[in-house]
Amino acid sequence: LKRFAPGSHEFIQKIKPQIKPARKMDVFLASPWIPAEWVRAHGLQPRGLWSVENFQCGLWPLSAGVCAFAEAAVRFAQARADSAVIFSTACDQMRRGFDAASLRGQNRLFLFNLPATWQTAAAGQIFRSELERLGQFLLALGGRAPSPELLRREMSLSGAARKRLLDSAAASSSRGFAEAVARFHWDGAFSPPPPAAPATQVPLALLGGPFLAPHWKWLDDLEAAGGRVALNATEMGERSLSPAFDDEAGASRPFDALVRGYCDNIIDVFQRPNTRLYSWLKPRLASRQARGIVLWHFTGCDLWRAEAGTLRETFGLPVLLLEAGAEPGAGPRRLDRLQTFVETLR
Amino acid sequence: MNSAPRQLNLDQWDDRYEQLRRDGLREPAYGGPLRRHVVREKDFRLQQLRFDNSPAALRLWNFLLTENQRLHQARAAGHKIVGTMKDLGTVPVMAYALPGLRAFYPDGAWWTPCLMECSDRLLQKAERMGLDASFCPARAMLPALVDGGHFPRPDLLICSSGAVCDDFSAIAQRLEHLGHSILWWEIPRRRRPAAGETACALPGLLAAPQIQVDCVRTELQRVGRALGELAGRTLDDDSLAAGIRAANQVRRRLDSLRRTVYSAPAAPLPALEMLVAEMLAIHFCSDREETIAVLDDLLAEVQSRARRSQFVIGAEAARIFWVNPVADLRAMNLLEELGGRLCGSDFMFSHALDLIPENLPPLEALARSAMADPMVGPTDDRAARIVRECQAGRAEAVAVSRIPGASHCAREGEIIREIVRREIGIPAIEIEIPPVCDAMLPSLASRLRAMVETARSRRAR
Repeated sequence: LKRFAPGSHEFIQKIKPQIKPARKMDVFLASPWIPAEWVRAHGLQPRGLWSVENFQCGLWPLSAGVCAFAEAAVRFAQARADSAVIFSTACDQMRRGFDAASLRGQNRLFLFNLPATWQTAAAGQIFRSELERLGQFLLALGGRAPSPELLRREMSLSGAARKRLLDSAAASSSRGFAEAVARFHWDGAFSPPPPAAPATQVPLALLGGPFLAPHWKWLDDLEAAGGRVALNATEMGERSLSPAFDDEAGASRPFDALVRGYCDNIIDVFQRPNTRLYSWLKPRLASRQARGIVLWHFTGCDLWRAEAGTLRETFGLPVLLLEAGAEPGAGPRRLDRLQTFVETLR
Repeated sequence: MNSAPRQLNLDQWDDRYEQLRRDGLREPAYGGPLRRHVVREKDFRLQQLRFDNSPAALRLWNFLLTENQRLHQARAAGHKIVGTMKDLGTVPVMAYALPGLRAFYPDGAWWTPCLMECSDRLLQKAERMGLDASFCPARAMLPALVDGGHFPRPDLLICSSGAVCDDFSAIAQRLEHLGHSILWWEIPRRRRPAAGETACALPGLLAAPQIQVDCVRTELQRVGRALGELAGRTLDDDSLAAGIRAANQVRRRLDSLRRTVYSAPAAPLPALEMLVAEMLAIHFCSDREETIAVLDDLLAEVQSRARRSQFVIGAEAARIFWVNPVADLRAMNLLEELGGRLCGSDFMFSHALDLIPENLPPLEALARSAMADPMVGPTDDRAARIVRECQAGRAEAVAVSRIPGASHCAREGEIIREIVRREIGIPAIEIEIPPVCDAMLPSLASRLRAMVETARSRRAR
């Protein structure tokens, strides 16, 4: 890929994900906290950016400190002339990645301002106004103004799919669950994840940022090493399914319910304070009997890396920091660390 | 007392100080020879620096290097201490509008490893607290606050969140987990107003949607209430307006200083002193009135030098615009040793140099000022200002100084350099400067020298 200039025909052919042609314009969302229901209600097709097959991370010649996921998002956005990409302000890397991607005046890009605070009316107001602004952007892309009925229907469908996924999480195979969540973020569908085999492996929690399709093989590697992911709390795991809607409010004021359903249920490391993340983790780590935490992060991700000490102190569990790599699966060095980690927990 | 402007090392300043004393130098209470900061405070880095030889610069340095003592004295006198983090220039304006409050930036501890040449092991302590060298040197703040060995533990900690650096946000969050409660307030990422949206003019020729400014105003109201509770007195509009006027007195002096120094045919004040002087804008080095006096002295000195055509750095020096503060102060000396001089700067807080509007309700004015923060908005907004100031200062090159581990540095330098090259076609380089840069001096020097030589060679064309 280094041989091709970003944006060139060869580059686009190389990076182009293996997807079927879509009837509706694809709107790629770089965060699970940007409501896909809102995009769908506008008649466009939301796609989780992280669900793109062959989304390439880590193959780029990066300058020091650049997050490979953010860089891949930038290059993806520059290459996909037929789609829109919605970045979020959840981290500096993605925020400035948007700056880099939009440097050449691309008008298919949008930066969604996710408030970091969550305990104030001002935070809710920011989220609401950003959603309204996103609506205007979607209309400019050719979307239609959403009717309350349509939005309500989309919320109902996604709410049901999320619930089914969450209900199946504890008993599913870790890879099957990751694939099912990715499917949900790709087209909103629920595909039942296969059940987990009888567990003799060490139960672990996988926590952190984007965990992409090329990384799924890592789950197989972990199982071969004698561990299993009992709680997938990555950005593409159970956390991403936390938005939930108040049916009663949704019936009369679906937009309000959408705002609240997201705003009140964002579970992420970037929030200040990020106590909601810890409150969310506590019962799940206990109920899944996690004996250790694998903290999954991309190079340059300060937000997740800084949590390692706090996770250890809060939950009294060993924490293994594992850096996302370019190759599928764990890779020899990471595999060695993983095996050692699991061995120490047996 | 006057002598030709030049830079002195610490040994030379010892002699100079004695001479000034013999000549009747009068100093404020925090005055004294610079050497004592090495002996008493272990500020070993001073031995490697070169300082301007004026009494005004001596006052500036003494003012800077006695800040921790000043804070301890304030605490002993019953003042409440506010640790304000990240916003660089907004919350202190509010805090100093209330009697009995002293605000400072614990972020400033990022210079402690440099000043003490890491002898206090703050960075190593931060690593033991979970923040290794992949984080910005601002991580020194964490052990400094937890141990309480440098500045007093604040009575209230306030930190902006949202469109801020990840590393700083992560460090502050770690601090809170370690038991230091923080009042977080939201600063949204600034965007340009959309068509049909109510727009709001900001300082620095910027604009933002009114809805964003409204959000920040609401957040600052919350901050103001907390400060009022701490002070035992409501922060009303009259007090805040007075605080804004006082902050603007500082900003006006800095504006004059910058214009005088950066537009002069040669440099009447060295780069290092300019960096330190500009830093006074953000929280007045814990004493607003004294900041004004310090800046008055400096301004008088540079105006006098400019009138007499007496300069520290000659007119042949390449005119360099500098972006971002340096983790090692030594780097500013290095630029001049290699034939450069400052003709402009963006030390990450240009919003703290712009006047806060005095013709608006004070909280609205402050919210607009906060929204003009270059780190809060798109990088190309920041680059546009750099381009304007490069043109005004007739810059011949731009140096973007990377802060090791800082999340914003991963990307912004590349964008700024690209825009600078595209808009004004001058060379732009990026260099990374660690807290103590001695080991990197050869490579730093070769990059800076190449920049200076390139800039000079372009003159001949």
